[in-house]
Amino acid sequence: MNPSVPPSAAEYGGDEVSAIVLDPGFSTTRAGFAGEDTPKSLIPTYYGKYSHEGQEKLIFGDDIFVTPRPGLSIHNPMGRDGIVEDWDMAEKVWEYSFTSRLTGAKPGNPFQNGLNDVPEGEMPTEMEGVESDEKPLADSPLLMTECGWNPTKAREKTIEIAMEKWGTPAFYLARNGVLAAFASGKASALVIDIGASSISVTPVHDGMILKRGVQHSPLGGDYISSQIRALFKSNNPQPITITPHYLISSKTAVDAGQPPQVNYKTYPPEKAPDASYRTLLEERTLSEFKECVVQVWPGPSKLLSPGPNGVSNEEVARSSPGRPFEFPDGYNQIFGVDRYRVVESLFDVKAAIPDPDSPFPAPTPAQTVPELIKNALNGVDVDIRPHLLANVVITGASSLLHGFTDRLNQELMQTYPGPRVRISAAGNTAERRFGSWIGGSILASLGTFHQMWISKKEYEEHGPNIVEKRCK
Amino acid sequence: MAAADVRDMLDLPAEGQPRPHKKQKVVEKRPEGITRELYALLGERAPPIAINENRYKGRPKWMSKLRVRPWGMTPFTNSARSDDLVLRHWKRQQEPAKVPALEGSEMEVDEQKQEEDASKPTEQDYTFAKYNVKARLPNRYTDEEYSRHLKSDDWSREETDYLMNMVEEYDLRWVVIADRYDFQRRPVNAEANTNALVPAKRYRTLEQMKSRYYFIAASMLALEHPPSEMSEAEFELHEKMMKFDPERERARKDLAALQLNRTADEVREEGILLEELKRITSNEQDFIAERRELYSRLEVPISVGNTTMYQSSQGLSQLLQTLLQADKTKKRRSLLGPEGAVPSPAGQTPASNAGTAARDSRADTPSTGPAAAPTNKKSVAAAAAAAAAAAKQEAQQQTLRTLTPAEEARYGVQHHERLAPSVQFRSDRAQKLTTAKSNVQTQKLAAALSELEVPLRLVMPTERVCKEFERLIQSVNLLLDARKVSEKVEGEIRVLESAKEERERKEREAKEKENPEVKTEQDDNAAPAPVPGDSAVTSQIETSTGETGKGADTAAPDAAGGATLEASSNTDQQGASHKRSASVLSDSSDKDAKRQRK
Repeated sequence: MNPSVPPSAAEYGGDEVSAIVLDPGFSTTRAGFAGEDTPKSLIPTYYGKYSHEGQEKLIFGDDIFVTPRPGLSIHNPMGRDGIVEDWDMAEKVWEYSFTSRLTGAKPGNPFQNGLNDVPEGEMPTEMEGVESDEKPLADSPLLMTECGWNPTKAREKTIEIAMEKWGTPAFYLARNGVLAAFASGKASALVIDIGASSISVTPVHDGMILKRGVQHSPLGGDYISSQIRALFKSNNPQPITITPHYLISSKTAVDAGQPPQVNYKTYPPEKAPDASYRTLLEERTLSEFKECVVQVWPGPSKLLSPGPNGVSNEEVARSSPGRPFEFPDGYNQIFGVDRYRVVESLFDVKAAIPDPDSPFPAPTPAQTVPELIKNALNGVDVDIRPHLLANVVITGASSLLHGFTDRLNQELMQTYPGPRVRISAAGNTAERRFGSWIGGSILASLGTFHQMWISKKEYEEHGPNIVEKRCK
Repeated sequence: MAAADVRDMLDLPAEGQPRPHKKQKVVEKRPEGITRELYALLGERAPPIAINENRYKGRPKWMSKLRVRPWGMTPFTNSARSDDLVLRHWKRQQEPAKVPALEGSEMEVDEQKQEEDASKPTEQDYTFAKYNVKARLPNRYTDEEYSRHLKSDDWSREETDYLMNMVEEYDLRWVVIADRYDFQRRPVNAEANTNALVPAKRYRTLEQMKSRYYFIAASMLALEHPPSEMSEAEFELHEKMMKFDPERERARKDLAALQLNRTADEVREEGILLEELKRITSNEQDFIAERRELYSRLEVPISVGNTTMYQSSQGLSQLLQTLLQADKTKKRRSLLGPEGAVPSPAGQTPASNAGTAARDSRADTPSTGPAAAPTNKKSVAAAAAAAAAAAKQEAQQQTLRTLTPAEEARYGVQHHERLAPSVQFRSDRAQKLTTAKSNVQTQKLAAALSELEVPLRLVMPTERVCKEFERLIQSVNLLLDARKVSEKVEGEIRVLESAKEERERKEREAKEKENPEVKTEQDDNAAPAPVPGDSAVTSQIETSTGETGKGADTAAPDAAGGATLEASSNTDQQGASHKRSASVLSDSSDKDAKRQRK
């Protein structure tokens, strides 16, 4: 193909207007230019706060993990249910996500950028253009995502920030369920999003969510982490404590199950970071544990129920070889059946590991994934249910747990033996993690989409309430 | 042995083909990017590693001749938008007309033209604006139209407006409309509602909304054009919308939900049934063909030859032998060809005997083997055999079960009092009945059967049919006998009457000569004969049947109830083979009975 010839509009339908797609989540915030296949800027939604010489300072992005500054505390502007709680900080985090990598510094006025300096004594007289450069998004339309249950107030606040603080010329607010369906090439789908803070099930019909079918529960990746912590507390040879790397100065290798031989770094209390910093770094180890060890029992029956040939599934799981994991302090152990138990409560509440200290209350049966799907389907018209079941889209980084899709497939086949159940889950890790962002990238680069933007003019005419009318 | 000798022996031409050439040395081409000296070091066989130089692929040569054409960030507006939002995208910039003779490349010129062609329309209108289409919706009603045609007790004007707005907003996507439908009823009169509680929010189902909308759409369509003036498509649409039945739609959805929520067992059962249906339909043709073949076989002309010679076991085995013989010779012939000798039956029989003998001996070997073995082994084997036999017996006993009468009928199990010594066909037995001792009688029987439309040879001689046939033949025989007797009696009566007339005539003549008192006496004597009373006839029949030697005592009631018997027997038979004969039969038998009474 001749690279100098643009693809014909008929086969591609794209028309890129250098729009920015911003997909804020609880754990990470994704931002990038529409039309690309992965977000260029991926930052944690957490931010760090510390005081330095009496001044309060903030850290954003990956820098929060790096230095254990004295008194550094970690916060998250998002609430556990995916709705913004701290708007000021959310605005700052989001702004950081695109200014750090995408928009960058403006090419200044050629008179002022130092390249065309006139000899001293003559001050440039023109100062116009400075005002317009202040807004970070002055020339990029912005597409933002939101969860299906975002209240009207939050939506209005979002467009207010985008229009007034960032000065975007055009704005649109899309549901992340719809975008995840678009990312897998479907206009109608049942989107199951397993995120960090929550699981959501969103029925999408013709590119619109069906509000009565939207279901969500807090059993996301962080809940699994809390289950792993509970497991570590009651671990068999000895309870495991997670020591993050920043607290370790040296260690020697030990055999499996042996207590670690490690020299700790100590911070005097006035120099030590906040406990939330430690929690954040522990979470990193836990996500590594989830990636390497944790596995979903493949089914078809539950882990606690008896298997097909009389042997209980737990016994079968016990007989399968375990997986080793080494903690930052050098302690290592092979995890057998426990690696199934920590996620089993996503499907079967009876398997939840009780932990009184956990911030998560014990899950209810209605919060499990199969129940959410069942409720979501009961909330929509019966005619489209089979179609939705034939287009189940799985997205979200926590759905990358080993064996998750197989188990979900089994559960759905059991619940709905009649209609055809077909799960489409991207095999590519990036596509699974950034599903809704990719959908936004597709949408915002479509030529036909450009009529749907809310322009600045319309915003000024109708006020923030226009988002309710336009972004349905 | 030289090659020439071999060729000679095999009758091959002396030097048919020239010897294959020695393999030509393949001179491999030196791949690019490797020096000759280094390549020479590699020796003859190049290593199986592809030698690739990592090099930027670059542009094809012809492209280097092209000039770089500038692209620019171009602002554009979208005509599908109500405001004039200006967005910017990259676009190839229009160049001033270039001198085409620069490189003499025609392709470039072509491209240039294409570009210009392509870019011109976009200048005028945004390319994607044409995709901005809306669903065609009915005209909105005016106040007057609403109050005259569209009023409804169930739907207020406000809610109807709301519904129509929703329909327009969501382009008739009913699923979404039903999902987002959230009509807040404004209190009509705030004072009136103060004492009432919060008004219960009415929940509208999708069917309600659809039926309301279709009613309005159809009415508006009818207002626009009265149904008589509608085009065909419009009329169809109107009909369709008028006929929308929310109740039926709701029932359909209930069924759909049931279908969706079936259990695994139900799904499996349905699958099995479907599979079965598929199997039946796919085998139907075969089945029909087989059946036709069977019928055609059944309709072969009745063999006239006597089959009695095959009815003893000896005869049957003989038949088998001859058939086998015929079969074998046929096979042989086809194998050996026409000149193959036809083996004599005499030579064949011992051979087959020998074969069976050999088989027998082979069958014996396992039993003789253990016998030759040492005694302890033998005993072990015997014990094992005994155990096996016992197990077998037990298994047999377990498998034995008594059949219920229904099952017996189903499987065709019969219990015989006494078995005939040889093999015989059931149809033959039935056949035998149709032949009587005398030829005349046989013909009469055949005539009776044909009158009843019963074929002489049974179409499907099942056991029940044969039994019924037997009974039928019996009663026909009886009937024929009765008829014979009645004819005889009639003849006698006629003779007697003529004799009587003769006598009367004579007497009259005599009376005319002398006195007429004698007449009453004579009447008394002759009275029973001309007036046929029933008792007289039966007594007559009795005597006659007694003469023919049949069961004298039972024949009379049989003959009297002959009609009913036949009728019943025929109705029984009806189930097996015929349908129409019952009425015919009863007719004819009635006739017979009347005749009998005479």
